Amino acid sequence: MEKDPNKGYIALLGWSLNAVEAAELFDRRYVVVAPDWAEEYCKKHDIPYILWNFERLNERSVEIAEMLKEMGVDVAIPLFEETVEWAGAINSVLLGNPRLFSQSILMRDKSLMKRRAQLGGIRVGIFEEAQDREDVIRFLIRVNQALMKLDGDPNDPVHFKPFDKAGCFGHRVIRTSEDVDTIPAEEFPALMESHLDGWEFAVEAWIHGGKIRFLNISEYVTLGYSVFVPASPELERYRPQITREIEKLIKAFDIEFGQIHPEYFISNDGAMYFGEVAYRPPGFKVFELLERVYGFNAYQASILVFDPKTSEEEIEAFFPREVVDAKGHAGCFGVYPRRRVVSRLEIPEETEDHPYFESHELTPPLEEVVTKRTAFGTHWGLLYFFGEDPTVMRDLLKRQEELDFYI
Amino acid sequence: MRAVDAGVEGARPVVGLDYLLEKLDGAIAVLAGTRDFAKPAKMAMVLDTARRVMMRDGGCAAIEERAMDLEEAGVFQGSDWATPQILVPDFTIHAFQSPSADTVVVESLSELRLLAVARGQYHHPLITAEEARDFLTRVLVVNISHLFSPPSEVERITQGRLALLSRRVLRYLADQLGYQYVIEMLVKEIWRILQQRPIQVDSVKSMITRIAVSQADPTIDLGNGALGVDRLVTSLFGPTQASREDPGIEIYHMRLKTMDLNSLRNEAIGFARAMHDTGLVSPYHPVLIRHLLSGPDNLIPDALGLSSTGRDCLLCYRDLVYALIDEAVYPETPQAVYGLTLMLERGILYQHPVAPALWRQLGLNLSERSCRRLTSALGDDVPPRVRLLEGVLCILGLPLGVGQGNNPTCQSARALSMWAYNDPDYLLQMVAWAARDDEIIMHFEGKALSSRGVVGLEESALPADLDPVSLLLVPHLDWIYTEMMLLCEDREGDPHRWVNPEFHGWWSGRGFKINVDVETGNLRDLEDFLRHFYAFYHPLYNGNQPLIHPQPAGIAATDSAGRFVGWHAITILRVALDPHAVMRVYFYNPNNDSGQDWGDGLIVDTAGNGERFGEASLPFEQFASRLYIFHLDPLEHGELGSVTQEELERVVAYVHRSWGMGRVPPGGPEGDGSSEESVI
Repeated sequence: MEKDPNKGYIALLGWSLNAVEAAELFDRRYVVVAPDWAEEYCKKHDIPYILWNFERLNERSVEIAEMLKEMGVDVAIPLFEETVEWAGAINSVLLGNPRLFSQSILMRDKSLMKRRAQLGGIRVGIFEEAQDREDVIRFLIRVNQALMKLDGDPNDPVHFKPFDKAGCFGHRVIRTSEDVDTIPAEEFPALMESHLDGWEFAVEAWIHGGKIRFLNISEYVTLGYSVFVPASPELERYRPQITREIEKLIKAFDIEFGQIHPEYFISNDGAMYFGEVAYRPPGFKVFELLERVYGFNAYQASILVFDPKTSEEEIEAFFPREVVDAKGHAGCFGVYPRRRVVSRLEIPEETEDHPYFESHELTPPLEEVVTKRTAFGTHWGLLYFFGEDPTVMRDLLKRQEELDFYI
Repeated sequence: MRAVDAGVEGARPVVGLDYLLEKLDGAIAVLAGTRDFAKPAKMAMVLDTARRVMMRDGGCAAIEERAMDLEEAGVFQGSDWATPQILVPDFTIHAFQSPSADTVVVESLSELRLLAVARGQYHHPLITAEEARDFLTRVLVVNISHLFSPPSEVERITQGRLALLSRRVLRYLADQLGYQYVIEMLVKEIWRILQQRPIQVDSVKSMITRIAVSQADPTIDLGNGALGVDRLVTSLFGPTQASREDPGIEIYHMRLKTMDLNSLRNEAIGFARAMHDTGLVSPYHPVLIRHLLSGPDNLIPDALGLSSTGRDCLLCYRDLVYALIDEAVYPETPQAVYGLTLMLERGILYQHPVAPALWRQLGLNLSERSCRRLTSALGDDVPPRVRLLEGVLCILGLPLGVGQGNNPTCQSARALSMWAYNDPDYLLQMVAWAARDDEIIMHFEGKALSSRGVVGLEESALPADLDPVSLLLVPHLDWIYTEMMLLCEDREGDPHRWVNPEFHGWWSGRGFKINVDVETGNLRDLEDFLRHFYAFYHPLYNGNQPLIHPQPAGIAATDSAGRFVGWHAITILRVALDPHAVMRVYFYNPNNDSGQDWGDGLIVDTAGNGERFGEASLPFEQFASRLYIFHLDPLEHGELGSVTQEELERVVAYVHRSWGMGRVPPGGPEGDGSSEESVI
């Protein structure tokens, strides 16, 4: 698309084909900042590209910020968890605001994040940091003591999340000391949380000028397996309350612009608990689902709200109305092999023949023996569904958990 | 736009074709509107929906209608399918059997596109309607088993329901193009393969059986029938008066018992005619021969269809031949008859060691491992000893009928063929060693290499799609060959120079030429290489000396687009003028089917240009353009100087247009022309 020199110049941190495509079809100039393995592809397809290997932040980090500044780049957008603090560091240089860096550190450290939320008056569960397995066992015992469990009662689980992993990666549910033994040493330090009973959901919010410009509620059918947008009316009922929570979050974290992806629980009595927040696109292809139902490109939405040169009118014209403008519900399901030994991929007929079924991105198995799954977040590919009725959608997504895709 | 009422209790909702097509059209539009670099991500939706469409009744027709949209949207982009003019029909076999749904789907889409092209609904810039039709009929022919029979066990395991997709598509193609044409092509194809007289004819026999079955099936319209179908079917199931209606072995045997001499002679001649016509032997044929053995044995030469040479040979070695028949010729081993016949015709029994070696073969005790290997690959309907003897007769009768199967080791197949052709008693020695002792010893420059204990530890990993002799020998030979190559590892230059003569036999020339620099893969001394090849092999430049011994040579195999595929071992058998007065190289290719398209106009022929059974041929200069290694006798000097520059330049141009592309070194294609180091 023709690029408008009066609008912002964007750097995309990390390689995402869908993001690049969105930028290509948008009126902003852009450059991809990605590791060396993306170079050949970018060269071949004339994609503006700067080579950068995102390792831990170090004294060289300022180099990339200055390089981008010299090029006239206005803002950097993180596409993955690993690039969030890079975006913070770079944007603090590009926009001359050092606080952006400290903000990004909050977003990367799950423990700091919770404390900050708590300070901002947001309700969170019990949490602690774990340095080793002993910490986890102590926490498990203490939480269950607090719940006044007797000896022999099954434990209430606790959740274990490595500090710096994205989304569900490394997320474990711990019930017994045997579960603790399966945690690899490299996943410490980690955050531990008490289990919140209730309805878990996520939000994608686009923020510009410190205000929410579009708020989507993603309904999880089963955490780590399935999600659909927009949420069912039962969950959308809470939209006003959810909006207020997000506004608290914006204030607590001092967010002026960008796109956030927080997770919450609603307890049985209607109270909302904050889980965590990420400053990047969600996993599970929620952006793609949003485009399917609303027709706007969520990556372009992010470019829009990150770009300091974006005008108020443009924002207003870009976003549709939440829920009412949706053409239906779009969902996706992450497939995990259920058998120990698999030889091929076959979509069950009942899935494939369902009118809501759209497509899948499953690939044939590379190895026959399935590694035992200990943590969430390593599904073998996604199935996509689209349809009008949220109840059918929810039942359909739930049903997939009982089917074999790898046999 | 709800497609069905998804809420109906109990009934599982199923989407209709229209609904899927709406989705497909949407997905095609998205793909079409996507920039090239992002297309792969949008492809899944198109391919997956197209797959579901094709699985519905009427789906293939719907895809055919959308052929142009699909192609323009970019489904074939970046793959070989984007250039249909270079596609090879034979490769569709593998694509259709792929465990990857995307591969099967893209292949199917490509076929349906070509159908649209063939029917003139889609004017394709790269392929004409006629070419598309030819291609599709070839596709049908090579995939004929998918057309007529349900998925095999293997397909079901690797593909599941996907195995039905290729069948639906092929069925649709055949329905649209007409079975008659397919049968015609199939029959032609069978004849083409049979003209090469392969030892392994099981797949051909099963194709013929399938045709016979479908002739009898009223739901399949074969049209008016094709020329030559009957000859094939009857050659297997009823070649003679008394076997005409395929009566079964028992009944046929009974009939023989009541026949007079004249009727028996008619039977004998009928069988012989059918056998020499097709190279296939009917299971009834051995019944007759065994019957003759116990009575009017003067009809045996008629039953084998022997010429005066073969007849004479049989009479000289009657006891041996009868013993071979008694031991090897059964209805389960009918091809033994053909092997025996051609062996007699070759007159190799007159070489003194051959007859005693065959006596040894008759009394040979097979090792346990050999028995196991033969039984597991070829079944146990006859004892392994009998199976092996059938294999021995076939390889001696059809030395150029050895195929490498679906295995990468062409050298061993080539060696077996060369020994059977040139040194049969040595081959029999090898068979005895391998079958009885599980060991072969060969020498490399005086150093003994024994395959004992190193071969066949993992029997399941050994190739199984081979003839009986190859089954036993190839694992040993592969190991020894690899060992010889390793011994040359530290030597400068290409190890084939030393390994080929040591491995194949003293007659492989010790002189050696190669036109590729081993280090860089670049072309080197190409003109000098070619000049020597002409001077040594071309009768007009070597003093009109026909090639005496078969010589191992290496070719740069190229695909139908002339692109380099790999290095391949062949045997140069002879160089001679063909019936059209073109100088041709006749050679043996261990590939199972030698008729190949090597690109840039090089079509390797197997018949029609003076080829003998099993020979492949190319005009001399075309052959030279694919050659990269050959051997020569350094003491023979051809007329190097008389090879004309124009001739060489034509060959060089062929090289540069095909596998030599990208191999021309920066300093120019030629070295300094000095070549002392390349001849020992």
